[in-house]
Amino acid sequence: MGHPKTKKIRRLLTGSLFVVLANPVVSFAGGKISFNRDVRPILSANCFSCHGPDKKARKAKLRLDTREGALFDLGGYHALQPGKADKSELILRIEADDPDDLMPPADSGRKLTNEDRRILREWINAGGEYETHWSLIPPVKAHLPEVHQKDWPLHPLDQFVLGQLEQNTLAPAPDADRYRWIRRVSLDLTGLPPTPGVADAFVADKDKDAYEKVVDRLLASTAYGEHWARMWLDLARYADTKGYEKDRHRDIWIFRDWVIDAFNRDMPYDRFTIEQLAGDLLPDPTPEQLVATAFHRNTMSNDEGGTDNEEFRVAAVKDRVDLTVQVWMGLTMGCAKCHSHKYDAITTDEYYRFYAYFNQTEDNDHPNDSPTYRVTPRETRVKRDALKKELAGLEKTGEVKLPELLAWLKEKKIPGEKWPVFSPVKAVSKNGSTLAILDDKSVLASGKSAQTDEYTLHGTLPAGTYHTLRLDALTHPSLGSRNGPGRNQKDPNFVLNELSIEHIPAGSATPRQLKIRTALADFEQKSWPVNGAFDGNPKTGWAISPRFGADHLARFTLDAPLQIKEGDRLRISLSQQYGSQLCLGRIRLSAGHPGTENWNLADLQTAMLSSILGEPLNPSRRQLAAQLQTDGDSNTASLRQRIATLKAEISKIDKTSTTVPVMREKPAGKQRVTRIHQRGNFLNPGKAVQHRLPGLFAAPANLPTNRLGVARWLMAPENPLTARVMVNRVWARLFGVGIVETEEDFGSQGLMPSHPELLDWLAVDLIEGEWSVKHLLRAITLSRTYRQDSKILPGHLDKDPRNRLLGRGPRFRLPAEVVRDQSLAASGLLTRKLGGPSVMPPQPPGIWKSTYSGEDWKTASGPDRYRRGLYTYLKRTSPHPALITFDGGSGEVCQIRRIRTNTPLQALITLNDETYLEAAGAMARLMKKSSEKLEQQIAFGFRQILIRPAEPFELERLIRVYHELTPEITDKAAFLSSAKLKEGDPSMVALASILLNLDETLMKP
Amino acid sequence: MDLSINMQKAHAQTRRHFFGQAGMGFGAIALQQLMAKNGLAADGEAFRIPAKAKSIIYLHMAGSPSQLELFENKPALTKFHGKDCPKEYLEGKRFAFIKGTPKMLGPVFDYKQHGESGQWVSELLPGLSSIIDDVCIIRSMHTDQFNHSPAQLLLHTGNPLLGYPSMGSWVTYGLGSENENLPGFVVLASGGKTPSAGKSLWGSGFLPTLYQGVQCRTDGGDPILYLSDPKGLSRKARRKTLDALKDLNEYQHRHVGDPETLTRISQYELAFRMQVSVPGVMDLSKEPEHILKLYGARPGHVSKAESAADPRRLYKGNDATFANNCLLARRLVENGVRFVQLYDWGWDHHGSSLGESIDETLPIKCQQVDRAIAGLITDLKQRGLFEQTLIVWGGEFGRTPMMQNNVNSVLKKGFYGRDHHPHAFTMWMAGGGIKPGAYGSTDDIGYYIAENPVGIRDLQTTILHQIGLNPHRFNFPYQGLNQRLIGPTEEGKVIKAILS
Repeated sequence: MGHPKTKKIRRLLTGSLFVVLANPVVSFAGGKISFNRDVRPILSANCFSCHGPDKKARKAKLRLDTREGALFDLGGYHALQPGKADKSELILRIEADDPDDLMPPADSGRKLTNEDRRILREWINAGGEYETHWSLIPPVKAHLPEVHQKDWPLHPLDQFVLGQLEQNTLAPAPDADRYRWIRRVSLDLTGLPPTPGVADAFVADKDKDAYEKVVDRLLASTAYGEHWARMWLDLARYADTKGYEKDRHRDIWIFRDWVIDAFNRDMPYDRFTIEQLAGDLLPDPTPEQLVATAFHRNTMSNDEGGTDNEEFRVAAVKDRVDLTVQVWMGLTMGCAKCHSHKYDAITTDEYYRFYAYFNQTEDNDHPNDSPTYRVTPRETRVKRDALKKELAGLEKTGEVKLPELLAWLKEKKIPGEKWPVFSPVKAVSKNGSTLAILDDKSVLASGKSAQTDEYTLHGTLPAGTYHTLRLDALTHPSLGSRNGPGRNQKDPNFVLNELSIEHIPAGSATPRQLKIRTALADFEQKSWPVNGAFDGNPKTGWAISPRFGADHLARFTLDAPLQIKEGDRLRISLSQQYGSQLCLGRIRLSAGHPGTENWNLADLQTAMLSSILGEPLNPSRRQLAAQLQTDGDSNTASLRQRIATLKAEISKIDKTSTTVPVMREKPAGKQRVTRIHQRGNFLNPGKAVQHRLPGLFAAPANLPTNRLGVARWLMAPENPLTARVMVNRVWARLFGVGIVETEEDFGSQGLMPSHPELLDWLAVDLIEGEWSVKHLLRAITLSRTYRQDSKILPGHLDKDPRNRLLGRGPRFRLPAEVVRDQSLAASGLLTRKLGGPSVMPPQPPGIWKSTYSGEDWKTASGPDRYRRGLYTYLKRTSPHPALITFDGGSGEVCQIRRIRTNTPLQALITLNDETYLEAAGAMARLMKKSSEKLEQQIAFGFRQILIRPAEPFELERLIRVYHELTPEITDKAAFLSSAKLKEGDPSMVALASILLNLDETLMKP
Repeated sequence: MDLSINMQKAHAQTRRHFFGQAGMGFGAIALQQLMAKNGLAADGEAFRIPAKAKSIIYLHMAGSPSQLELFENKPALTKFHGKDCPKEYLEGKRFAFIKGTPKMLGPVFDYKQHGESGQWVSELLPGLSSIIDDVCIIRSMHTDQFNHSPAQLLLHTGNPLLGYPSMGSWVTYGLGSENENLPGFVVLASGGKTPSAGKSLWGSGFLPTLYQGVQCRTDGGDPILYLSDPKGLSRKARRKTLDALKDLNEYQHRHVGDPETLTRISQYELAFRMQVSVPGVMDLSKEPEHILKLYGARPGHVSKAESAADPRRLYKGNDATFANNCLLARRLVENGVRFVQLYDWGWDHHGSSLGESIDETLPIKCQQVDRAIAGLITDLKQRGLFEQTLIVWGGEFGRTPMMQNNVNSVLKKGFYGRDHHPHAFTMWMAGGGIKPGAYGSTDDIGYYIAENPVGIRDLQTTILHQIGLNPHRFNFPYQGLNQRLIGPTEEGKVIKAILS
């Protein structure tokens, strides 16, 4: 049995090549049998699958997971006869000689040890009492145990650790030296090594609070949030693609940045939880609170052709349900999808009642990932808001009073005779609009609004010579709340596909088509330029979205001058074939005398405005007039320039915005009915169920019946698990193994805590410390336990090979990202940029060969080549090989803990991967620069990575290999270039590579 | 002096620990730990059963070839050719692409009987036909997934969702490798793309990453990622750096005493040996001409299709990539690799766009693999490796007896296609204690299974059984459940009828 009372000591090697699953050699004091510690693990591992909570799987109607069940009258006899082991069927069966009677049955593959039998016997003789499973009993701060070595503890947690060590007649290790401690704590809190200079300052710091200063400085650095975000992103199954066959790109990096920011601000864990699970349901959610809900949009979606969206929507919702319970409470609910949980009391019914809370979001595995939310990163948004404020102020300064404006316009009035107005006598709509000719000779459409239309205007111009024709597309109050200029009131755009002008000389019946040479418009919608309005192509044309509610103009320059004589007529038709009622609402045409083809836009606009002076100066006209006026005024030039700069900056910031998939609740009345999926199959729906929280503990009253309620329930003071699970997770990152080793399972199949009272003390302290993770980290990293030397003292390896008693400092391999970041930092290559889209550092060619997606790995050449590992683009079906080989995850599923391995493929990466060669090259360059003397250069490099000074043996050995390498590197130029150097000392590069590969380098000291 | 004695002791301890007891492969210690946790005998007996096969070569035709053009001679379907599909085959069914009422599509190629057993095999597989008496054809396979990615995942990891360990990971986790200089689970891919479900198909899921499949690449680059030393660094220089590393790490171990350091030293040494052993085993130029010919292999051949955006249009019948991989597979199992997984992409013949048709693409794909597969079996036999190697061939599901109609509703040359069909398809197994012959059958038109259905769970159960792992007991505790390749229920059964 693997539970903590195992006596036999196995010589297991921590985190080594073959992962050691469980075998803590912690022995607890006292001979008294504890149900939770001693008995439950035996029953759970051997009996509950047939005699547990799952009614369907239950054999012989016997359940042993409750005392009531064990006491049940089985027909004159009982599985459990309190105080009488010899009369208890349970004992008779486990000790039976007849294989037919023996329990567990031989074909189950389960077998009890003699020790197991002894424990069960003793337990029944002592009364056979049950206890609530330990993790469901609310944690309390226990009294600190008495210890002998009273001067050792620095923090209450040390007292618990020491108490247990002393019970096992082990002594704690001495403090680690300061160099090793500062390297350890820097890597643990920020994922980056300290610089040797910082370390020297700490070593020389005689202050009483020297340690505190280091920890506080590290917790305040932004690198802290980056490092700890990684832990959370593993849980959130964060990735930059959607998974499954197509595995296409997904924009969700802003959620990663949200997590970094939340850690850096030390957002309390309760708020952190509520915002991620239900930020959208908070009153007036901020943009950040909406971004936070992307937590559960990290589920995969399947864009493969022919897939059933509902199938993968259901898979995503189940993933959210399972993950929520797993991440916050360390319980597995997943099994209950198909059958009632065999080990923990969660029924299928309960599962789907809980599922109902999560079953109400709008997302449905649609390839566009909807619903999504467009957001500008907070830092830039703050800057943009400031810029906008300044802009508004400047615009106000530049604002012109109305009377002055009118006076100016009047004064500036462009001679009317330059632009005689075309006088329509007849206006006809092809598709039934009513076209009225107004007093000002403009034509206004009303009545039926056809999808497409063609207006034909017959009319005259005064005699003369004309070079241009001006079309004013004007606003009008009758065109809806935005005044047009188009007829569609929801989308008041228009598309003028073709403009045709025909000249009918007096007395003639044959019209002559006029050719247009060029045109100029005040504004053109992207892809809809005014040139399209006379190119003969009915699919192209001029449109003005999104500048609605404003007058627009276009000047068409004729190919040849138009001579108008008395009695001549013009027929002008405007074809508008886009559909969706995108037709002009009000137009006026005028013809320009020679010279008007050279007018600039401002003059054309002034002419247009002047011609409508009699109409109300609505906001858009007023803005235009003001702009035209200031444009003409040299005093305001600098103001205008500033305004232009501001606008450009704002638009640049707006371009940094990104979308992110978010959670959005379906409106009341449209909510889904949740049904049980029989045997977990969504195509096989059973009875409908209402939402209800699992009855694991007494939930607080008046919780909202939505995800917000779930989040509050998780963080409720009554919840015995959440704080324990979080404390345990943080502990495991620092010490390599959790107090509960099975971080993912706090249920009856999980392992017992090695230090239950310590876990509880810290859990209560986390809650009392208002859920501050920094507070928790500060306590642990400043403890005496954490400060211990990691050297394995004689006797310790035998007594406690896996350091479960914590009688020495933690020593284990650094996580994938830290291995990378440390090398880049030590060699000075690391780019310290916080956040932003994911990046593509070098990876061997041909790694990405996914079906269909057609997306390429474009290796970064600039600073993005050397960003922290956290920012490396993560494609679920093809993660970066260096990260995954060092046990990083693919983001496909929630990764509660990374199982550490030690493989030859890892050695090949740190020896041969471009990134590590470039780091070695950069480090060699630093070493050569540091001194004239070889010995000092090597000593310098050693400290860059390991921080502590090299010992004589180490230095000598490195100097020796330097000299040995010099004749062996035959193709120096080739080797230097593989380290991205043009010149340099190839032996030093190879030596730097040795430093990056030392065992001590790869391990936390 | 003291140091070296201590080191030797420590080494001995480490090796005993890792490389385990006699008879157990490299890696099986993890199993031992596992059983210790579960209170089972620590010697592995509970999970291990007598093995029929020592290694597995799994040939996966990704996309799923049409059983109706390869193994299912269906005169009745020919009779119905061009007629509307009867309603009863459509009602309540979910298809990936078929819409409305499709027409039936009779087998496009001719069948003949082959071998003493008189098996019906299509004209597209002359090579396989010549050795048909060595294989066991299972015409009654079925699955419950009808999209590529989930179906492939179910087949190889036992779960249609991502994140579970692959069969190869399970097997190497349970049995380790016979050669400590080579990875125990090797993946070789051809056809220009990785299969739909990507690298998750050889991921180790919740098992330690040590057991994930190592993809060996045959496109001219490093056969294993990062295997080559940097340019300009000689082997001698590499040795010097590793000697220094070893000395410094041993010094570290003497001061800190962490056995993990010794493991690291041994892993660096293993990496050094792999730098020689892997390119050695991957070097086909050492094979004599007649062997190359047997497979149709060509050393150093790099197909253009392998790096094309859409390789399907570049497929040629004489492309040697898959043949090379088959020959590599033999060399790998010969050298003690436990599980060799081949993926060949490009078998998804919907007939809805160019390069994916039954009438034109399928014959080319068959040419690429047929001679190579026959060569592999012949070669294994002549080396006495056949009986100890389990060979499995198939796709992730089958193809419909109806033609796919969403793009072309009438038959058009170069656009014959069939949709995904989970209800019946064909696989075959050979060697490794499998009795040659045939098992199972389908109805007259190949729509439903007529007798002896074999599910994915049965297949997995049988494979584990043959390799010497008790499929029901072999598990890993994760998320509160004893996780198994064959899933939580007991539906998977060993197909006893096909065992010799």
